[in-house]
Amino acid sequence: MESKVIVVTSGKGGVGKTTATASIGAALALEGKRVAVVDMDIGLRNLDVVMGLENRIVFNIVDAVNGKCKIQQAAIKDRRVENLFLIPASQSDNKDALSPESVRRFSAELRKEFDFVFMDCPAGIERGFENSVAAADEAVVICTPEVSSVRDADRVIGLLYARSVTPKLVVNRIVPEMVERGDMLSHQDVVDVLSIELIGLVPMDDQVVVSTNKGVPLVMQKGSKAGEAFHRIAMRLNGRADLPIEIPQGQKSFWKKIGLKIGVGK
Amino acid sequence: MFNGFLRKLLRTQETTSKDLAKKRLQFALIYDKLEVSDDTLTALHRDIVEVISRYFEFDQNALKLDITRCEDLSALVVNTPILSAKRRNRTLKHACTP
Repeated sequence: MESKVIVVTSGKGGVGKTTATASIGAALALEGKRVAVVDMDIGLRNLDVVMGLENRIVFNIVDAVNGKCKIQQAAIKDRRVENLFLIPASQSDNKDALSPESVRRFSAELRKEFDFVFMDCPAGIERGFENSVAAADEAVVICTPEVSSVRDADRVIGLLYARSVTPKLVVNRIVPEMVERGDMLSHQDVVDVLSIELIGLVPMDDQVVVSTNKGVPLVMQKGSKAGEAFHRIAMRLNGRADLPIEIPQGQKSFWKKIGLKIGVGK
Repeated sequence: MFNGFLRKLLRTQETTSKDLAKKRLQFALIYDKLEVSDDTLTALHRDIVEVISRYFEFDQNALKLDITRCEDLSALVVNTPILSAKRRNRTLKHACTP
């Protein structure tokens, strides 16, 4: 199988890029793919704590790119999920430690070792973004149903197209009850505005905080709706484009359920 | 459910906050892309009025300037009712230029 380099990006910070990267990566590894997740946020690394691998860092991506260590030394193997590897960011350098050219060279090496390489892009559209998209075949754009996030996503989508990278959209942190009330943009509204291909809808889920607290992959957390959604996104990235996209549903009240049964209300 | 029903009844006229969000977003994105400030739009409005008034008699306040977007294209739509055409001779033309 030809390996794929996918950048996970959003423009705005704090919309769930790192959680998405960790979850989708873990889901694909559970499917038996060899997966590397790369933290591109040099100076502000976080993917390691989200994945619970912060105690095992020896080398980082800057070392690997500059040839101070081998890829195999920098890639930390996840002991719970076979075939999942993390290449952590450096905490002491800044974004200029890498260049798009050096990342391209490094990615060519990664392609030989892994089926999927996920680049966890830092927020913003400066150097860190340039480095992260340099070698990408595809992009996953994470967006929450808020005006600020959608606006930044639109900007990033424009930049991705300019670099001939096809973006696919994930709408994260959907609160179905608020959408129903008309107090939150629906996924359809977001798609209307951004007009790119949708690849998944993720509901707001308390389990995200819980699994991050523990440093356990979200997709291994039983009963996590967000985890299931990320799992389906991973499947779609793995060629299962036919998998239907589930729209997050709120808890229906007793009366509403009856209403639905007898065909009143929606 | 009854609360929800009542709310829905009351909401039919009122626009929901997400409709507002969507509208604001769409405008923000259009302006982001065109990088057109309000000042530019006002200046453009003034210039268009000036040019049209050389040729036509029209209500300057009724002239509408809109930037619309469909799919990937943006269009500048100028809409104005015209009262009558001016006779185009040189003197008149010059008379109209401020």
